[in-house]
Amino acid sequence: MSLLRLDEATIKFGGLVAVNSVSFELNQGDLFGLIGPNGAGKTTCFNLITGVYAPTSGMITFNGRNITGTPSNKIAKLGICRTFQNIRLYGSLSSLENVVVGGFLRHRTTLGSALCYLPGAIKETEQLKHQALELLKLVDLDDVANVRSKDLPYGKQRRLEIARAMATQPQLLLLDEPAAGMNPQEKMELLQMVKKIRDELGVTVLLIEHDMKFVMNLCERIFVLDHGEEIAQGPPSEIRNDPKVIAAYLGEAV
Amino acid sequence: MKFNFGKWAASRIGSILLAFAVCFLAQFMLRGATDYSRLLFSLAGLYVTLAVSLNLINGITGQFSIGHAAFYQIGAYTGALLASTVFKNMADAANPLWLPIAMVCGAIVSGLAGFIVGLPSLRLRGDYLAVVTLGIGEIVTIIAKNQKALGEAYGLSASKYPSTVFFVVLLAIITIAVCRNLLKTAHGLSFLAVREDEIASSAMGVNLTKTKVTAFVLGSAFAGAAGALYAHTKGFVSPTDFSMDASFLILTMVVLGGTGSITGTAIAAIVLFIVPEKMRDLPPSIAVATPVGVAIAIITSVVILKKIQDNFHGNPYKRLGMNLGVIAGGVVLAMIMGRLLVLIPTFQSTINGQLFRMPVLAVTLVVLMLLRPQGIFGHSEFSWSWVQKVLGKRPVQEVEVAA
Ligand SMILES: Nc1ncnc2c1ncn2[C@@H]1O[C@H](COP(=O)(O)OP(=O)(O)OP(=O)(O)O)[C@@H](O)[C@H]1O
Ligand SMILES: [Mg+2]
Repeated sequence: MSLLRLDEATIKFGGLVAVNSVSFELNQGDLFGLIGPNGAGKTTCFNLITGVYAPTSGMITFNGRNITGTPSNKIAKLGICRTFQNIRLYGSLSSLENVVVGGFLRHRTTLGSALCYLPGAIKETEQLKHQALELLKLVDLDDVANVRSKDLPYGKQRRLEIARAMATQPQLLLLDEPAAGMNPQEKMELLQMVKKIRDELGVTVLLIEHDMKFVMNLCERIFVLDHGEEIAQGPPSEIRNDPKVIAAYLGEAV
Repeated sequence: MKFNFGKWAASRIGSILLAFAVCFLAQFMLRGATDYSRLLFSLAGLYVTLAVSLNLINGITGQFSIGHAAFYQIGAYTGALLASTVFKNMADAANPLWLPIAMVCGAIVSGLAGFIVGLPSLRLRGDYLAVVTLGIGEIVTIIAKNQKALGEAYGLSASKYPSTVFFVVLLAIITIAVCRNLLKTAHGLSFLAVREDEIASSAMGVNLTKTKVTAFVLGSAFAGAAGALYAHTKGFVSPTDFSMDASFLILTMVVLGGTGSITGTAIAAIVLFIVPEKMRDLPPSIAVATPVGVAIAIITSVVILKKIQDNFHGNPYKRLGMNLGVIAGGVVLAMIMGRLLVLIPTFQSTINGQLFRMPVLAVTLVVLMLLRPQGIFGHSEFSWSWVQKVLGKRPVQEVEVAA
């Protein structure tokens, strides 16, 4: 059974059809790439999957469950979490605190026990901090655990967003241009990190990326969008030579 | 940092005992004080509660509410009304149990009002929420002014209680403790997360509406409890006590103290309440030269301080020294200017010193916003490690990293 399924998902913003009848399927353990020129509708696809927008028509299924129009926070609880193209960290919180917020959705203690500082809430906080520190190690940020996230350099902020999303313990991780603004060295490390997340932690990954080399090296299947519509879908070797893709990226080396 | 039950229990019991000791001490110290100073002290304490509870909504959760006095008022009317009806026997007999009951009733009614107002309006963002809460403040005042049962323009009277000081201090401590507890746990981080980025928080599974409404209801409930005590502190409640001015004063305390900082807000509340009150004692006639001289000195010092702040990043001791030097220089300049300007006939006329109460407040705020727009304490809390950090003694490294 597929993990995530988009069935002719469509969204219109006024007259603009940002995503037009897009269908694709992700299986458990996939490393799936979503590419396309600027304004193709990639981020909008993420927004549809994570419930930021409800599709105008079409259906989205996760784990066999219809999640069309489900609010964002519920989708996170169901096991889909994401990062943002225009980094959205909690700027004045530390790296560790950012990741703790990610882990908070599975909390079991009540607000009352937090307000009274009861053992349950304290222990849970300690646990979440511990888990957060482990995740910071995974993305190699444990040395900046107590640094305010807005004081981190760009590349580290991107990795911190991944750690925060991982803290929600997702089954499906959506990464929106995770390598943007990184140098070649950082990109290499990121590539390894994403592989590790999939291979060792068993998390299915769907990622948007403009760096073709990065996508081709990392993803096993790729979906290409242009003007909100599918133009190709398949393994990197096919996508690379697809005439429609080359046309869409005219002038860019694919 | 492993959780240790024994240590936890000891520190809890210790803090609770200490809190009660502080309340008794306050009550004891003020036993022979004049009614006026007792009133001042109590009001300052109530403003601490009000400011810290608004800080939970504005500073911690980031919802710009500016009608906090409405919930203070609802609590006050609830207290006064119940004391003259349902709980008449108890209240008239000055039964000390009445005050905690009044606080709880005020909190429940205000919390409920907060829920009714908050549920629809917290879906609004920023400016809209501000407008709605401002409107609520006015509506509550107008309702109070026009209801027979609420005493119309005169208001309601309530008996004065000797033990309000104790409860005023207790309520302030509880409010501070609850906010501090919240911030020490992961729950609190989710409130801060809503302030920092709503879209990201929602994507991380935080229920925005629930978090905001919770903060709003809690904040309103504390304001309501403060209101119930206010009724018995002052001896009456009148609709004009809870005007827009009161709301703005509370808001100013939060902004000045540093939005999000509990300790900063509490300190700002005391200072902002006491200073204008004390300025009522200013002489009824002072030469125009004095305020003009002071204004010139303030402008000069602020310009220099701002220059230092922008251009000098180095040894913090040296910077502190320079800042203090400029402030001292400003004071001297003010005195010299005052003396010199008096020599000019136009500046010799006199005006009423008490007129300066509000302008002084305004000028303080403008100066602060210029020099430190994040509030005196910014997002940080007052603690020894913070003091050391500010003084540049050592960079603070918390334990977690080593864990
Ligand atoms: N909320 C919105 N309201 C109106 N138009 C929108 C909205 N969100 C996206 N769009 C439009 O939808 C189209 C697709 O945008 P989207 O952000 O999904 O592109 P993208 O493929 O992620 O591009 P990029 O590579 O630049 O990130 C764009 O034309 C954009 O202007
Ligand atoms: Mg995009």
